Amino acid sequence: MEITLRIRRYNPEVDEKPYWAEYTLENVERTDRVLDLLHRVKWEIDGTLSFRRSCAHGVCGSDAMRINGMNLLACKALVKDFVKGAKGRIQVEPILGLPVIKDLIVDMDTFFEHYRTVMPYFINDEEPPERERLQSPEERAIFDESTKCILCAACTTSCPSFWANETYLGPAAIVQAHRFIFDSRDQAASERLAILSEENGVWRCRTIYNCTMACPREIPITQLIAEVKKEIGRR
Amino acid sequence: MSTLVMTVREVLRYRGKEGQLAWIGHRLAGLGTLLFFVIHVIDTSWVYFWPAGYEHAIALYRSRPFLIGELFLVLAVIYHGVNGLRVALMDWKPRLWARQRELTLAAFVLTAVLYAPAFVIMMGHIINAWSATGVAAR
Repeated sequence: MEITLRIRRYNPEVDEKPYWAEYTLENVERTDRVLDLLHRVKWEIDGTLSFRRSCAHGVCGSDAMRINGMNLLACKALVKDFVKGAKGRIQVEPILGLPVIKDLIVDMDTFFEHYRTVMPYFINDEEPPERERLQSPEERAIFDESTKCILCAACTTSCPSFWANETYLGPAAIVQAHRFIFDSRDQAASERLAILSEENGVWRCRTIYNCTMACPREIPITQLIAEVKKEIGRR
Repeated sequence: MSTLVMTVREVLRYRGKEGQLAWIGHRLAGLGTLLFFVIHVIDTSWVYFWPAGYEHAIALYRSRPFLIGELFLVLAVIYHGVNGLRVALMDWKPRLWARQRELTLAAFVLTAVLYAPAFVIMMGHIINAWSATGVAAR
């Protein structure tokens, strides 16, 4: 099949503003990934095209981008998901709300700054037991979903609240906080909840569900955010 | 300002699902109702500060554009209330996220059901008012 790949391009050293570039690719398989198409453009047509990717199998979370208007991982998005006939068009642009460095690469500093804000690490100052700290399967199940996050930023950059206000911690940071708040072995839940109950914490979530729809790991993000909201209310 | 413009533009461009549509409607309904409230508080205060202006405002409310506008106002109030209850329910019972699509559609349907009698009654009033001598010309 023939695919026209429409890419939002921008090189701040050369371009005054972003622009759309189109590349026509032939002999595309229905099961090709959008990442494969980007590779073909970079390797066969224009080597200056810039994008992030690493594992290329939906694990590292490097290649989140907006494909046909929705945040997805390019390595998990198949051509057949967008084009049914023998010809078609796929549009690719950088995720929104973070500054574009070049083409599809965005500056993730703000995203990781929010991530660090919620203290995404285990805190327990008690003397460690001789063996591991035990936890029941039921206790583990409470935060099972929030352990799946790969920090791709697809959720945070699909959120209108984040677009409007980049100081909002965003869904990804709240999911990371959830992972430790509900861990029975951790002792810093109150501190994290205090951070999340501030102006730019969970209350900026408007329950829109864009984040849940965008998550490539199928984490029920809005549910987890609501659980954090309830926990703040409960305390 | 540029952030606001960008957000409004991208809300229209991003292909969110029912949740995003419901949220856009919620914002429009909320802002529309707030605008009406502000105007209404101001013109009601004119009873004391500027009686002639108040009379003029009341006459304006009986004009065609405002009568039609009232149809939208009632729709906005009903939708904002129903959708607000849905959002509160989703936050209260987080596991309902799996049914968010159905619940959002249910909010749209419930809004339509609640709005239908109000629409019929108000539309009848508008038609009668337009038929009445002296009102139709305004």
